[in-house]
Amino acid sequence: MSSAIEIRDLHYRAGKAFEIRDLALNVPTGSMYGFLGPNGSGKTTTIRLLLGLLRPLQGTITVLGGSIPREAPRVLARTGYVPEQPHLYPSLTVAEALHFHAAFYPTWDWKWADELALQFQLDRGRLLSRLSKGEMGKLEMLLALAQRPELLVLDEPTDGLDPVVRRDVLTSVLDYVSQQNATVFISSHLVHELERICDWVGVMDRGRLVAELPMHSFKNGIKRLRVLNAPALAGDTPFVVLSRDAANGSAETWVVRGWQPPMSQWFTGVGATLKEVIDLDLEEGFVELLRTFRVPQA
Amino acid sequence: MFRAILYTQWKWSRFPLLLGVLVGFALPILSVQRVSGVTGYWQTRTMLASVQAWGILYPIVGTGLALLVGALAWSADHRGRHVYALSLPLPRWHYTLLRFGAGLVLLAAPVMAVWIGGLLATATVTIPTGLHAYPTMLATRFALAVFVTYALFFAMSAGTVRIAGYVLGALAFVLVVEVIANAAGAHVSLLEQIFIGLVVWPGPLDVLTGRWMLIDV
Repeated sequence: MSSAIEIRDLHYRAGKAFEIRDLALNVPTGSMYGFLGPNGSGKTTTIRLLLGLLRPLQGTITVLGGSIPREAPRVLARTGYVPEQPHLYPSLTVAEALHFHAAFYPTWDWKWADELALQFQLDRGRLLSRLSKGEMGKLEMLLALAQRPELLVLDEPTDGLDPVVRRDVLTSVLDYVSQQNATVFISSHLVHELERICDWVGVMDRGRLVAELPMHSFKNGIKRLRVLNAPALAGDTPFVVLSRDAANGSAETWVVRGWQPPMSQWFTGVGATLKEVIDLDLEEGFVELLRTFRVPQA
Repeated sequence: MFRAILYTQWKWSRFPLLLGVLVGFALPILSVQRVSGVTGYWQTRTMLASVQAWGILYPIVGTGLALLVGALAWSADHRGRHVYALSLPLPRWHYTLLRFGAGLVLLAAPVMAVWIGGLLATATVTIPTGLHAYPTMLATRFALAVFVTYALFFAMSAGTVRIAGYVLGALAFVLVVEVIANAAGAHVSLLEQIFIGLVVWPGPLDVLTGRWMLIDV
Protein backbone atom coordinates (compact mmCIF):
# COMPACT_ATOMS: atom_id res chain seq x y z
CA MET A 1 0.00 0.00 0.00
CA SER A 2 1.60 3.29 -1.08
CA SER A 3 1.52 6.37 1.11
CA ALA A 4 0.43 9.87 0.18
CA ILE A 5 2.01 11.20 3.36
CA GLU A 6 4.77 9.55 5.32
CA ILE A 7 6.37 11.14 8.37
CA ARG A 8 9.24 9.54 10.28
CA ASP A 9 10.91 10.56 13.56
CA LEU A 10 9.72 14.12 13.25
CA HIS A 11 10.86 16.57 15.86
CA TYR A 12 9.81 20.20 16.02
CA ARG A 13 9.89 22.73 18.81
CA ALA A 14 7.93 25.98 19.01
CA GLY A 15 9.26 27.92 21.97
CA LYS A 16 9.67 26.22 25.33
CA ALA A 17 6.05 25.28 25.84
CA PHE A 18 5.32 23.05 22.87
CA GLU A 19 7.09 20.39 20.89
CA ILE A 20 6.35 17.55 18.56
CA ARG A 21 8.40 14.48 19.41
CA ASP A 22 9.18 11.35 17.42
CA LEU A 23 6.13 11.74 15.24
CA ALA A 24 5.56 8.90 12.78
CA LEU A 25 2.50 9.05 10.57
CA ASN A 26 1.36 7.22 7.49
CA VAL A 27 -1.53 8.28 5.26
CA PRO A 28 -2.40 5.63 2.64
CA THR A 29 -2.96 6.88 -0.90
CA GLY A 30 -6.64 7.28 -1.67
CA SER A 31 -7.70 7.27 1.97
CA MET A 32 -9.70 9.80 3.94
CA TYR A 33 -7.54 10.28 6.99
CA GLY A 34 -9.10 11.94 10.01
CA PHE A 35 -6.54 13.72 12.15
CA LEU A 36 -8.08 14.03 15.58
CA GLY A 37 -6.89 15.81 18.64
CA PRO A 38 -7.92 18.38 21.20
CA ASN A 39 -7.10 22.06 20.70
CA GLY A 40 -3.38 22.69 21.06
CA SER A 41 -2.43 19.05 20.47
CA GLY A 42 -0.22 19.88 17.47
CA LYS A 43 -2.52 19.18 14.54
CA THR A 44 -2.04 22.53 12.80
CA THR A 45 1.71 22.46 13.44
CA THR A 46 1.94 18.97 11.94
CA ILE A 47 0.00 20.14 8.88
CA ARG A 48 2.26 23.15 8.44
CA LEU A 49 5.29 20.89 8.74
CA LEU A 50 4.03 18.46 6.13
CA LEU A 51 3.34 21.30 3.70
CA GLY A 52 6.79 22.81 4.23
CA LEU A 53 5.47 25.96 5.89
CA LEU A 54 7.58 25.14 8.94
CA ARG A 55 11.00 23.49 9.09
CA PRO A 56 11.44 20.46 11.38
CA LEU A 57 14.43 20.10 13.67
CA GLN A 58 14.81 16.50 12.52
CA GLY A 59 12.96 13.70 10.79
CA THR A 60 11.75 13.03 7.28
CA ILE A 61 8.51 14.06 5.61
CA THR A 62 7.48 12.63 2.27
CA VAL A 63 4.32 13.89 0.58
CA LEU A 64 3.15 12.54 -2.80
CA GLY A 65 6.61 11.04 -3.22
CA GLY A 66 8.39 14.35 -2.73
CA SER A 67 10.65 15.20 0.17
CA ILE A 68 9.50 18.15 2.27
CA PRO A 69 10.64 20.92 2.51
CA ARG A 70 13.11 20.39 -0.39
CA GLU A 71 10.45 19.55 -2.97
CA ALA A 72 7.65 21.57 -1.39
CA PRO A 73 6.76 23.67 -4.48
CA ARG A 74 6.32 20.56 -6.64
CA VAL A 75 4.21 18.90 -3.94
CA LEU A 76 2.15 22.03 -3.23
CA ALA A 77 1.23 22.25 -6.92
CA ARG A 78 -0.61 18.93 -6.45
CA THR A 79 -2.05 19.69 -3.01
CA GLY A 80 -5.14 21.64 -2.05
CA TYR A 81 -4.90 23.27 1.35
CA VAL A 82 -7.59 24.79 3.50
CA PRO A 83 -5.97 26.36 6.57
CA GLU A 84 -7.46 26.72 10.01
CA GLN A 85 -7.71 30.53 9.73
CA PRO A 86 -8.73 32.31 6.52
CA HIS A 87 -5.49 33.24 4.79
CA LEU A 88 -6.62 34.98 1.60
CA TYR A 89 -6.10 38.67 0.84
CA PRO A 90 -9.16 40.47 2.26
CA SER A 91 -8.89 43.46 -0.11
CA LEU A 92 -9.59 41.26 -3.16
CA THR A 93 -13.02 40.40 -4.48
CA VAL A 94 -14.08 36.78 -4.87
CA ALA A 95 -13.41 36.95 -8.63
CA GLU A 96 -9.97 38.50 -8.07
CA ALA A 97 -9.11 35.86 -5.46
CA LEU A 98 -10.06 33.13 -7.96
CA HIS A 99 -7.90 34.66 -10.71
CA PHE A 100 -4.98 35.16 -8.34
CA HIS A 101 -5.11 31.59 -7.09
CA ALA A 102 -5.65 30.09 -10.55
CA ALA A 103 -2.47 31.73 -11.83
CA PHE A 104 -0.33 29.46 -9.66
CA TYR A 105 -1.95 26.12 -10.51
CA PRO A 106 -1.55 24.64 -13.99
CA THR A 107 -4.28 22.09 -13.22
CA TRP A 108 -6.84 24.77 -12.31
CA ASP A 109 -10.30 23.85 -13.62
CA TRP A 110 -12.26 27.04 -14.40
CA LYS A 111 -15.37 25.15 -15.42
CA TRP A 112 -15.56 23.41 -12.11
CA ALA A 113 -14.61 26.55 -10.20
CA ASP A 114 -17.58 28.31 -11.81
CA GLU A 115 -19.87 25.41 -10.92
CA LEU A 116 -18.68 25.42 -7.31
CA ALA A 117 -19.06 29.21 -7.06
CA LEU A 118 -22.64 28.82 -8.25
CA GLN A 119 -23.28 25.89 -5.94
CA PHE A 120 -21.82 27.76 -2.95
CA GLN A 121 -23.73 30.92 -3.96
CA LEU A 122 -20.62 33.09 -3.80
CA ASP A 123 -21.01 36.66 -5.07
CA ARG A 124 -18.00 37.21 -7.34
CA GLY A 125 -17.98 40.96 -6.90
CA ARG A 126 -17.90 40.86 -3.13
CA LEU A 127 -14.80 41.82 -1.18
CA LEU A 128 -13.34 39.00 0.89
CA SER A 129 -13.35 41.28 3.92
CA ARG A 130 -17.15 41.43 3.59
CA LEU A 131 -17.70 37.67 3.40
CA SER A 132 -19.28 35.85 6.31
CA LYS A 133 -17.34 33.07 8.00
CA GLY A 134 -19.38 30.48 6.12
CA GLU A 135 -18.82 32.14 2.75
CA MET A 136 -15.10 32.40 3.44
CA GLY A 137 -15.02 28.71 4.39
CA LYS A 138 -16.73 27.82 1.12
CA LEU A 139 -14.38 30.01 -0.91
CA GLU A 140 -11.35 28.40 0.71
CA MET A 141 -12.76 24.99 -0.16
CA LEU A 142 -13.52 26.09 -3.72
CA LEU A 143 -9.92 27.25 -4.21
CA ALA A 144 -8.55 23.99 -2.85
CA LEU A 145 -10.83 21.84 -5.00
CA ALA A 146 -10.72 23.73 -8.29
CA GLN A 147 -6.99 23.14 -8.63
CA ARG A 148 -7.81 19.42 -8.97
CA PRO A 149 -5.39 18.26 -6.30
CA GLU A 150 -4.20 14.72 -5.69
CA LEU A 151 -4.08 15.48 -1.99
CA LEU A 152 -6.43 17.65 0.05
CA VAL A 153 -5.13 18.92 3.37
CA LEU A 154 -7.97 20.39 5.38
CA ASP A 155 -7.22 21.96 8.74
CA GLU A 156 -10.45 22.23 10.72
CA PRO A 157 -12.32 23.21 7.54
CA THR A 158 -15.73 23.33 9.17
CA ASP A 159 -14.78 24.84 12.51
CA GLY A 160 -17.28 27.55 13.44
CA LEU A 161 -19.49 26.97 10.41
CA ASP A 162 -23.22 26.44 10.70
CA PRO A 163 -24.57 22.94 9.97
CA VAL A 164 -25.82 23.84 6.48
CA VAL A 165 -22.48 25.27 5.33
CA ARG A 166 -20.66 22.40 7.03
CA ARG A 167 -22.74 19.91 5.08
CA ASP A 168 -22.12 21.82 1.80
CA VAL A 169 -18.38 21.87 2.39
CA LEU A 170 -18.08 18.22 3.35
CA THR A 171 -20.35 17.13 0.51
CA SER A 172 -18.14 18.91 -2.00
CA VAL A 173 -15.10 17.09 -0.58
CA LEU A 174 -16.85 13.73 -0.76
CA ASP A 175 -18.00 14.41 -4.34
CA TYR A 176 -14.45 15.26 -5.33
CA VAL A 177 -12.97 12.18 -3.67
CA SER A 178 -15.52 9.93 -5.36
CA GLN A 179 -14.59 11.42 -8.76
CA GLN A 180 -10.82 11.66 -8.43
CA ASN A 181 -9.77 9.05 -5.87
CA ALA A 182 -7.77 11.78 -4.15
CA THR A 183 -6.28 11.46 -0.69
CA VAL A 184 -7.82 13.62 2.03
CA PHE A 185 -6.08 14.56 5.24
CA ILE A 186 -8.61 16.29 7.43
CA SER A 187 -7.99 17.56 10.92
CA SER A 188 -10.74 18.29 13.37
CA HIS A 189 -11.68 18.19 16.98
CA LEU A 190 -15.28 17.53 15.95
CA VAL A 191 -15.04 13.78 16.26
CA HIS A 192 -18.55 12.89 15.08
CA GLU A 193 -17.90 14.79 11.85
CA LEU A 194 -14.99 12.56 10.88
CA GLU A 195 -16.68 9.38 12.04
CA ARG A 196 -18.94 9.15 9.01
CA ILE A 197 -16.46 10.18 6.30
CA CYS A 198 -13.00 8.89 7.25
CA ASP A 199 -11.55 5.44 6.73
CA TRP A 200 -8.36 6.06 8.70
CA VAL A 201 -7.86 7.92 11.91
CA GLY A 202 -4.83 9.35 13.70
CA VAL A 203 -5.11 10.78 17.18
CA MET A 204 -2.76 13.48 18.33
CA ASP A 205 -2.26 14.69 21.86
CA ARG A 206 0.38 16.99 23.35
CA GLY A 207 2.59 16.78 20.30
CA ARG A 208 2.50 12.97 20.05
CA LEU A 209 0.56 10.56 17.89
CA VAL A 210 -1.42 8.47 20.35
CA ALA A 211 -3.03 6.12 17.85
CA GLU A 212 -3.19 5.51 14.11
CA LEU A 213 -5.46 2.82 12.73
CA PRO A 214 -8.28 2.14 10.26
CA MET A 215 -11.53 3.76 11.35
CA HIS A 216 -13.38 0.44 11.61
CA SER A 217 -10.71 -0.91 13.97
CA PHE A 218 -10.90 2.23 16.04
CA LYS A 219 -14.67 2.19 16.23
CA ASN A 220 -15.09 -1.54 16.69
CA GLY A 221 -12.02 -2.16 18.77
CA ILE A 222 -12.84 0.15 21.67
CA LYS A 223 -15.51 -1.23 23.95
CA ARG A 224 -16.90 -0.62 27.40
CA LEU A 225 -17.20 -3.87 29.37
CA ARG A 226 -19.21 -4.57 32.51
CA VAL A 227 -17.25 -7.12 34.52
CA LEU A 228 -18.19 -8.93 37.73
CA ASN A 229 -15.54 -10.20 40.15
CA ALA A 230 -12.72 -8.75 38.12
CA PRO A 231 -9.22 -9.76 39.22
CA ALA A 232 -7.26 -7.09 41.11
CA LEU A 233 -4.48 -7.33 38.56
CA ALA A 234 -5.52 -7.83 34.98
CA GLY A 235 -2.20 -9.45 34.03
CA ASP A 236 -1.82 -10.63 30.43
CA THR A 237 -4.96 -9.60 28.62
CA PRO A 238 -5.52 -10.28 24.91
CA PHE A 239 -6.80 -6.69 24.64
CA VAL A 240 -5.48 -3.35 25.90
CA VAL A 241 -7.14 -2.11 29.08
CA LEU A 242 -7.52 1.64 28.73
CA SER A 243 -9.28 2.20 32.03
CA ARG A 244 -11.14 0.38 34.77
CA ASP A 245 -13.52 1.98 37.23
CA ALA A 246 -15.45 0.48 40.11
CA ALA A 247 -19.20 0.35 39.54
CA ASN A 248 -21.78 -1.11 42.00
CA GLY A 249 -20.60 -3.79 44.42
CA SER A 250 -18.24 -6.25 42.75
CA ALA A 251 -18.93 -4.82 39.32
CA GLU A 252 -16.36 -2.85 37.34
CA THR A 253 -16.46 -0.92 34.10
CA TRP A 254 -13.54 -1.49 31.80
CA VAL A 255 -12.70 0.40 28.64
CA VAL A 256 -10.60 -1.78 26.35
CA ARG A 257 -8.99 -1.48 22.95
CA GLY A 258 -8.45 -4.23 20.38
CA TRP A 259 -11.55 -6.11 21.45
CA GLN A 260 -12.84 -9.14 19.57
CA PRO A 261 -15.77 -11.33 20.69
CA PRO A 262 -13.73 -14.55 21.32
CA MET A 263 -11.76 -12.64 23.95
CA SER A 264 -14.69 -12.97 26.36
CA GLN A 265 -13.22 -16.43 27.18
CA TRP A 266 -10.38 -14.73 28.97
CA PHE A 267 -12.72 -13.53 31.74
CA THR A 268 -13.88 -17.06 32.44
CA GLY A 269 -10.25 -18.13 32.70
CA VAL A 270 -9.53 -15.60 35.46
CA GLY A 271 -12.74 -16.27 37.39
CA ALA A 272 -14.54 -13.13 36.33
CA THR A 273 -17.84 -12.74 34.53
CA LEU A 274 -18.33 -10.56 31.51
CA LYS A 275 -21.87 -9.18 31.85
CA GLU A 276 -22.06 -6.78 28.96
CA VAL A 277 -20.11 -5.46 25.98
CA ILE A 278 -21.07 -1.92 25.00
CA ASP A 279 -20.12 -0.27 21.72
CA LEU A 280 -18.57 3.17 22.02
CA ASP A 281 -18.95 5.74 19.32
CA LEU A 282 -15.84 7.45 18.01
CA GLU A 283 -16.17 10.40 20.32
CA GLU A 284 -16.38 8.24 23.44
CA GLY A 285 -13.49 6.12 22.22
CA PHE A 286 -11.49 9.25 21.49
CA VAL A 287 -12.12 10.66 24.96
CA GLU A 288 -11.21 7.37 26.64
CA LEU A 289 -8.06 7.10 24.57
CA LEU A 290 -6.93 10.57 25.53
CA ARG A 291 -7.83 9.98 29.16
CA THR A 292 -5.70 6.87 29.38
CA PHE A 293 -2.88 8.47 27.45
CA ARG A 294 -2.77 11.39 29.86
CA VAL A 295 -3.06 9.30 33.06
CA PRO A 296 -0.69 6.36 32.73
CA GLN A 297 -1.87 3.09 34.28
CA ALA A 298 -0.10 2.12 37.51
CA MET B 1 2.00 34.39 -12.06
CA PHE B 2 3.71 37.73 -12.38
CA ARG B 3 0.55 39.33 -13.74
CA ALA B 4 -1.42 38.02 -10.74
CA ILE B 5 1.15 39.36 -8.28
CA LEU B 6 1.33 42.66 -10.16
CA TYR B 7 -2.43 43.02 -10.02
CA THR B 8 -2.59 42.51 -6.24
CA GLN B 9 0.22 44.97 -5.68
CA TRP B 10 -1.45 47.51 -7.97
CA LYS B 11 -4.66 47.11 -6.01
CA TRP B 12 -2.91 47.69 -2.69
CA SER B 13 -0.76 50.64 -3.74
CA ARG B 14 -2.77 52.30 -6.50
CA PHE B 15 -3.70 55.44 -4.52
CA PRO B 16 -0.15 56.47 -3.52
CA LEU B 17 1.01 55.50 -7.01
CA LEU B 18 -1.58 57.66 -8.78
CA LEU B 19 -0.71 60.53 -6.46
CA GLY B 20 2.97 59.90 -7.22
CA VAL B 21 2.28 60.01 -10.96
CA LEU B 22 0.39 63.31 -10.61
CA VAL B 23 3.04 64.91 -8.41
CA GLY B 24 5.85 63.49 -10.56
CA PHE B 25 4.29 65.00 -13.67
CA ALA B 26 3.51 68.35 -12.03
CA LEU B 27 6.85 68.89 -10.28
CA PRO B 28 8.97 69.63 -13.39
CA ILE B 29 6.24 71.85 -14.84
CA LEU B 30 5.91 73.84 -11.62
CA SER B 31 9.69 74.11 -11.24
CA VAL B 32 10.16 75.97 -14.57
CA GLN B 33 7.48 78.61 -14.01
CA ARG B 34 10.10 81.36 -13.59
CA VAL B 35 12.34 80.30 -16.47
CA SER B 36 10.83 82.18 -19.43
CA GLY B 37 12.02 85.71 -20.01
CA VAL B 38 14.95 85.44 -17.64
CA THR B 39 17.89 87.66 -18.62
CA GLY B 40 20.99 88.75 -16.85
CA TYR B 41 23.18 87.12 -14.25
CA TRP B 42 21.11 87.82 -11.14
CA GLN B 43 17.79 86.80 -12.68
CA THR B 44 19.37 83.59 -13.91
CA ARG B 45 20.80 82.89 -10.45
CA THR B 46 17.39 83.48 -8.86
CA MET B 47 15.75 81.23 -11.42
CA LEU B 48 18.29 78.46 -10.78
CA ALA B 49 17.76 78.81 -7.03
CA SER B 50 14.02 78.36 -7.63
CA VAL B 51 14.60 75.25 -9.78
CA GLN B 52 16.90 73.91 -7.06
CA ALA B 53 14.32 74.58 -4.36
CA TRP B 54 11.71 72.62 -6.31
CA GLY B 55 14.35 69.90 -6.78
CA ILE B 56 14.35 69.12 -3.07
CA LEU B 57 10.92 67.58 -3.58
CA TYR B 58 12.11 64.87 -6.02
CA PRO B 59 13.98 62.73 -3.45
CA ILE B 60 11.23 63.36 -0.90
CA VAL B 61 8.49 62.22 -3.30
CA GLY B 62 10.62 59.30 -4.50
CA THR B 63 11.42 58.11 -0.98
CA GLY B 64 7.81 58.46 0.13
CA LEU B 65 6.59 56.45 -2.84
CA ALA B 66 9.24 53.80 -2.35
CA LEU B 67 8.36 53.52 1.33
CA LEU B 68 4.65 53.06 0.63
CA VAL B 69 5.03 50.64 -2.28
CA GLY B 70 7.69 48.65 -0.41
CA ALA B 71 5.61 48.38 2.75
CA LEU B 72 2.33 47.65 0.92
CA ALA B 73 3.99 44.82 -1.01
CA TRP B 74 4.12 42.79 2.20
CA SER B 75 1.35 44.16 4.41
CA ALA B 76 -1.33 41.68 3.27
CA ASP B 77 1.05 38.74 3.69
CA HIS B 78 2.04 39.98 7.14
CA ARG B 79 -1.62 40.14 8.13
CA GLY B 80 -2.12 36.51 7.05
CA ARG B 81 1.16 35.50 8.74
CA HIS B 82 2.49 34.53 5.30
CA VAL B 83 0.48 31.30 5.29
CA TYR B 84 -1.01 31.97 1.85
CA ALA B 85 2.28 32.95 0.26
CA LEU B 86 4.07 29.95 1.74
CA SER B 87 1.37 27.54 0.63
CA LEU B 88 1.62 28.63 -3.00
CA PRO B 89 3.55 26.20 -5.20
CA LEU B 90 6.70 28.20 -5.78
CA PRO B 91 9.97 28.62 -3.90
CA ARG B 92 10.16 31.46 -1.38
CA TRP B 93 12.88 33.28 -3.32
CA HIS B 94 10.71 33.17 -6.45
CA TYR B 95 7.71 34.65 -4.66
CA THR B 96 9.87 37.40 -3.15
CA LEU B 97 11.35 38.16 -6.56
CA LEU B 98 7.88 38.40 -8.11
CA ARG B 99 6.71 40.79 -5.40
CA PHE B 100 9.88 42.86 -5.76
CA GLY B 101 9.61 42.95 -9.55
CA ALA B 102 5.94 43.96 -9.39
CA GLY B 103 6.84 46.92 -7.19
CA LEU B 104 9.57 47.98 -9.61
CA VAL B 105 7.17 47.82 -12.56
CA LEU B 106 4.60 49.92 -10.71
CA LEU B 107 7.20 52.49 -9.67
CA ALA B 108 8.14 52.94 -13.32
CA ALA B 109 4.89 54.91 -13.72
CA PRO B 110 5.89 57.89 -11.53
CA VAL B 111 9.38 57.75 -13.06
CA MET B 112 7.83 58.04 -16.52
CA ALA B 113 5.64 60.86 -15.23
CA VAL B 114 8.73 62.78 -14.08
CA TRP B 115 10.39 62.18 -17.45
CA ILE B 116 7.36 63.21 -19.53
CA GLY B 117 6.69 66.16 -17.22
CA GLY B 118 10.33 67.22 -17.56
CA LEU B 119 10.28 66.94 -21.37
CA LEU B 120 7.05 68.90 -21.56
CA ALA B 121 8.19 71.53 -19.10
CA THR B 122 11.52 72.19 -20.80
CA ALA B 123 9.91 72.21 -24.28
CA THR B 124 7.44 74.91 -23.32
CA VAL B 125 9.89 77.47 -21.89
CA THR B 126 12.75 79.44 -23.37
CA ILE B 127 15.89 78.41 -21.57
CA PRO B 128 18.42 81.26 -21.12
CA THR B 129 21.64 81.05 -23.10
CA GLY B 130 24.32 79.00 -21.40
CA LEU B 131 21.83 76.83 -19.50
CA HIS B 132 20.66 73.36 -20.50
CA ALA B 133 17.67 71.15 -19.77
CA TYR B 134 18.26 67.70 -18.28
CA PRO B 135 14.85 65.96 -18.25
CA THR B 136 16.26 62.52 -19.06
CA MET B 137 19.09 62.81 -16.54
CA LEU B 138 16.65 63.99 -13.87
CA ALA B 139 14.23 61.14 -14.59
CA THR B 140 17.11 58.63 -14.57
CA ARG B 141 18.28 59.93 -11.21
CA PHE B 142 14.73 59.87 -9.88
CA ALA B 143 14.42 56.27 -11.08
CA LEU B 144 17.66 55.32 -9.36
CA ALA B 145 16.61 57.01 -6.12
CA VAL B 146 13.18 55.40 -6.18
CA PHE B 147 14.51 51.93 -7.00
CA VAL B 148 17.31 52.03 -4.40
CA THR B 149 15.03 53.23 -1.60
CA TYR B 150 12.31 50.82 -2.71
CA ALA B 151 14.78 47.93 -2.48
CA LEU B 152 15.73 49.08 1.01
CA PHE B 153 12.16 49.47 2.26
CA PHE B 154 11.05 46.27 0.53
CA ALA B 155 13.79 44.33 2.33
CA MET B 156 13.01 46.00 5.65
CA SER B 157 9.28 45.39 5.43
CA ALA B 158 9.82 41.79 4.33
CA GLY B 159 11.27 41.05 7.74
CA THR B 160 9.25 39.83 10.67
CA VAL B 161 8.48 41.87 13.77
CA ARG B 162 11.31 39.98 15.45
CA ILE B 163 13.81 41.16 12.83
CA ALA B 164 12.53 44.74 13.15
CA GLY B 165 13.06 44.33 16.88
CA TYR B 166 16.66 43.19 16.31
CA VAL B 167 17.38 46.20 14.07
CA LEU B 168 15.84 48.66 16.55
CA GLY B 169 17.63 46.88 19.39
CA ALA B 170 20.97 47.19 17.58
CA LEU B 171 20.37 50.91 16.99
CA ALA B 172 19.40 51.40 20.63
CA PHE B 173 22.56 49.56 21.68
CA VAL B 174 24.70 51.83 19.48
CA LEU B 175 22.95 54.87 20.97
CA VAL B 176 23.55 53.68 24.53
CA VAL B 177 27.24 52.96 23.79
CA GLU B 178 27.57 56.44 22.29
CA VAL B 179 25.93 58.13 25.29
CA ILE B 180 28.05 56.18 27.79
CA ALA B 181 31.26 56.80 25.82
CA ASN B 182 30.55 60.51 25.55
CA ALA B 183 29.69 60.70 29.24
CA ALA B 184 33.05 59.07 29.98
CA GLY B 185 34.80 61.77 27.98
CA ALA B 186 35.55 59.82 24.79
CA HIS B 187 34.25 61.45 21.63
CA VAL B 188 32.35 58.72 19.84
CA SER B 189 29.81 59.39 17.11
CA LEU B 190 28.70 55.97 15.91
CA LEU B 191 25.24 57.04 14.72
CA GLU B 192 26.73 59.90 12.76
CA GLN B 193 29.20 57.48 11.16
CA ILE B 194 26.35 55.14 10.23
CA PHE B 195 24.39 58.02 8.73
CA ILE B 196 27.42 59.23 6.77
CA GLY B 197 28.08 55.67 5.62
CA LEU B 198 24.57 55.55 4.17
CA VAL B 199 24.27 58.95 2.52
CA VAL B 200 27.84 59.70 1.39
CA TRP B 201 29.29 57.88 -1.62
CA PRO B 202 29.59 54.89 -1.86
CA GLY B 203 26.65 54.74 0.55
CA PRO B 204 23.42 53.52 -1.10
CA LEU B 205 21.46 56.69 -0.26
CA ASP B 206 24.00 59.07 -1.80
CA VAL B 207 21.67 59.21 -4.80
CA LEU B 208 19.16 61.18 -2.71
CA THR B 209 21.55 63.98 -1.82
CA GLY B 210 23.00 66.81 -3.92
CA ARG B 211 21.21 69.14 -6.33
CA TRP B 212 18.25 67.89 -8.36
CA MET B 213 18.25 70.29 -11.31
CA LEU B 214 15.95 70.10 -14.31
CA ILE B 215 17.74 73.12 -15.77
CA ASP B 216 21.37 73.80 -14.99
CA VAL B 217 24.56 75.11 -16.51
